[in-house]
Amino acid sequence: MRVTKGAQIVAGTALLALAVAACGGGASDSGGTAAGGGDTTPVRMEIGEPQELLVPQNTTETEGSEVLAALFSPLVGYDENKQPVEEAAESVTTEDSKVWTIKLKSGYTWHDGTAVTAADYARAWNYAALQDNAMSASYFFGRIDGYEDVHPGEGKKPSAKEMKGLKVVDDLTLEVTLAAPFSQFKTMLGYTAFYPLPESAIGPDGKVTQAYGEQPIGQGLFKLDKPYKKGTDATIEASVYDKFPGKKPSNWTKLQFKVYTSAETAYNDLQAENLDVDDSLPPSAIASAKAALGDRYFDEPDASIGYIGVPLKYNPDFQDVQVRRAISLAIDRKTIAETVFSGTRAPADDFINPAIPGYRQGACDACTYNPAEAKKLYDEAGGPKNIEVGYNADGGHKEWIEAVANNLRANLGIEVTPKPFEKFQGILDALDGKEYKGLFRMGWAIDYPAAENYLSPIFGTGAIESGSNYGGYSNKEFDELIKKGDQATDAAEGLKFYQQADDILIKELPYIPVYFYRSNFGHSTKVKNVKLNLLNQIDWADVEKA
Amino acid sequence: MGRYVIRRLIQAIPVLFGATLLIFCIVFALPGDPIAALFGDKRPDPAIAEVLREQYHLNDPLLLQYWYYISGVLFRGDFGVNFADVPVSQIMAGKFQVTLNLALTALVMEAVIGVGLGLWAALRRGKATDTMILASTLLFISVPTLVTGFVLQLLLGVKLKQWTGADIFPVAGTFAGWRSYLLPGFVLAGTSIAYLTRLTRTSLAETLRADYIRTATAKGLSRRRVVGRHGLRNALIPLVTFLGADLGNLMGGAVITETIFNLQGIGNQLFQSVYLREQPVVVGIVTILVLIYILANLVVDMLYALLDPRIRYE
Repeated sequence: MRVTKGAQIVAGTALLALAVAACGGGASDSGGTAAGGGDTTPVRMEIGEPQELLVPQNTTETEGSEVLAALFSPLVGYDENKQPVEEAAESVTTEDSKVWTIKLKSGYTWHDGTAVTAADYARAWNYAALQDNAMSASYFFGRIDGYEDVHPGEGKKPSAKEMKGLKVVDDLTLEVTLAAPFSQFKTMLGYTAFYPLPESAIGPDGKVTQAYGEQPIGQGLFKLDKPYKKGTDATIEASVYDKFPGKKPSNWTKLQFKVYTSAETAYNDLQAENLDVDDSLPPSAIASAKAALGDRYFDEPDASIGYIGVPLKYNPDFQDVQVRRAISLAIDRKTIAETVFSGTRAPADDFINPAIPGYRQGACDACTYNPAEAKKLYDEAGGPKNIEVGYNADGGHKEWIEAVANNLRANLGIEVTPKPFEKFQGILDALDGKEYKGLFRMGWAIDYPAAENYLSPIFGTGAIESGSNYGGYSNKEFDELIKKGDQATDAAEGLKFYQQADDILIKELPYIPVYFYRSNFGHSTKVKNVKLNLLNQIDWADVEKA
Repeated sequence: MGRYVIRRLIQAIPVLFGATLLIFCIVFALPGDPIAALFGDKRPDPAIAEVLREQYHLNDPLLLQYWYYISGVLFRGDFGVNFADVPVSQIMAGKFQVTLNLALTALVMEAVIGVGLGLWAALRRGKATDTMILASTLLFISVPTLVTGFVLQLLLGVKLKQWTGADIFPVAGTFAGWRSYLLPGFVLAGTSIAYLTRLTRTSLAETLRADYIRTATAKGLSRRRVVGRHGLRNALIPLVTFLGADLGNLMGGAVITETIFNLQGIGNQLFQSVYLREQPVVVGIVTILVLIYILANLVVDMLYALLDPRIRYE
């Protein structure tokens, strides 16, 4: 038969359907117009896609935190000396580092106009801590008295809904009782997890609503213009909240986060001036960025550290401290930082990062490069002849782990095999399952900017079960010093004890610090005065349009 | 004809079911714990991991998990949620939009440029034009998308704007409407354009040697009519087959292009979701891709009948 009308229609309709569906997009991307004073073309900031909906208590990754930091004002911020200073709080005081009184500044309102009260903080913190809510930032509240009641652990039901250590004294006063004294508590309060939640955030089922997660109502400088549809929207748009009582940008009002999947692409967009602030410059572009951006390129210490982890608990071969010292001395940190990472890392020389108060330059004597001494120590101690170094293949760690392996092979005269795992979790599972007992790649990004955060969560005996002490290092003296630091009545006094604890790590090398991260960021010619704070977030109020 | 189409569509149903079950099992069999993956380089709090596993039915046996999923799709039109509780239907709607725009741009470029160049080469067979076209297609086939993508982005996106101030090809994103898709569409179509050019050239050259072409010429028909009506129409069948099959590739396989040009499309999403083991997202996307393959093939078969009256479907 000849082709009938029917066939033509079927074929035509199918094609048309495709075409019509295709035409729907595009147009919706044009930006809206804004009211209010100042420049209404937005300042555009690079981010990766936030992992979760925008709920502060469920956000422990950098991209979501970046957005939330614009929408919320933390209780404390950090000054040039890296010390916590009150922002949304009027004062944070304690007599004994155990009972803390947080007085709020009056005048802060939610983006819907209602006043922010102490109850909003208690609500948020209780919500985060309650095990049934499965909030990823839950562990931040572990020091508050009553945490065990709401978060008793795997297989157990919470016996309370609220922590008994949180007491709302009046509208602007919150009293926090910790289970044990902790001198650095004030420093913790600047983190995303400690933002408050308005009453409207919680739905009838007692959970934070989907709508809130898409368009969180904050009490900070910026207010979201419209709900962020994760998975669909390529931008997150916000405008200055006119009733915000703190400092506002002098000559602009709109902020736009652009979601990128590739750092290279974002950098190209920055060069073409389609992007104003880019804080994840790709390593491949670092060399050219200095020339291309000039004084718009910045290179600053970042609070994260990269280590070679030692499975002390799992492998007797590494028990001898001389073996660990030898391995440490055999690593050429300078070359790794400058060549393998094109200068986006700095050689590590302490267990505390230079971005944080308490760092002492050159503190780690075994973190220098001394192949001759390394070989001597290693042979004397009779270290293992075969070493594996595990790394997760998903995070760009292959190159530096291979560099370390080459160092050890050449300088110690032993066989070293880099061993890729799919994800970092795979290394931990293999260690637990006794299928693997080699060295492993380890990294640490801080939860709050205090020296203590580099010590007890990674090396404390208590952190073997419930923290990030994956090597299983345990030292009574170390634990004792941490405890003394925690009990100190002011942060500075506490630091002395933490540094003594740090000295023990330097002597014992439970992990081998290899590099400190650095923040590389750049901005376009359209903005100026762009600065990163201690948590690697931009201080938007200071940014000016050029 | 109508009955044939209906039969083909009914045949698609078991294919779709099989595809969902197969993909579901494959994602299930991937190593690693999807809940642990949510916590990056930190070990998840066991209590929280337990609550999340319960919430996403991860402790249940595979078939029960599949039942939860498929019953949601069939009875409630609910494609499930990812691990951030975002509905999969919302994710798919947004991302397919972008990918469809990109794929159709690429498909149109393929058809126009590929067939155009192939036609030109076939008519100038053995001459300098032909050789040049053949050589340049060879170049396009051998250079990977990754390279053409970055080079064209840098030259036409960044440098052109820096030098001339003209913002013709956006570097990334979909902010400039249809113009956003020109460069990525071309990069994505690159290799296919080259293949299609060669295919057109060969197919047409062969057809032009056929007896009925000589007859047509002998009857005194114009060259345009001989080549267009008698030559090209008969040469089109392999080309249509190629284009139909390529649509599926363009939709699902655009990960690199989408990443380079920051298009939040389906390829990228699929890549990330496989990595995070987000079963509902992977299954949802793949099912739609299978559906597109089936429909594209059906359209191709219909076009056969349109192009060659000897082909009939009963």
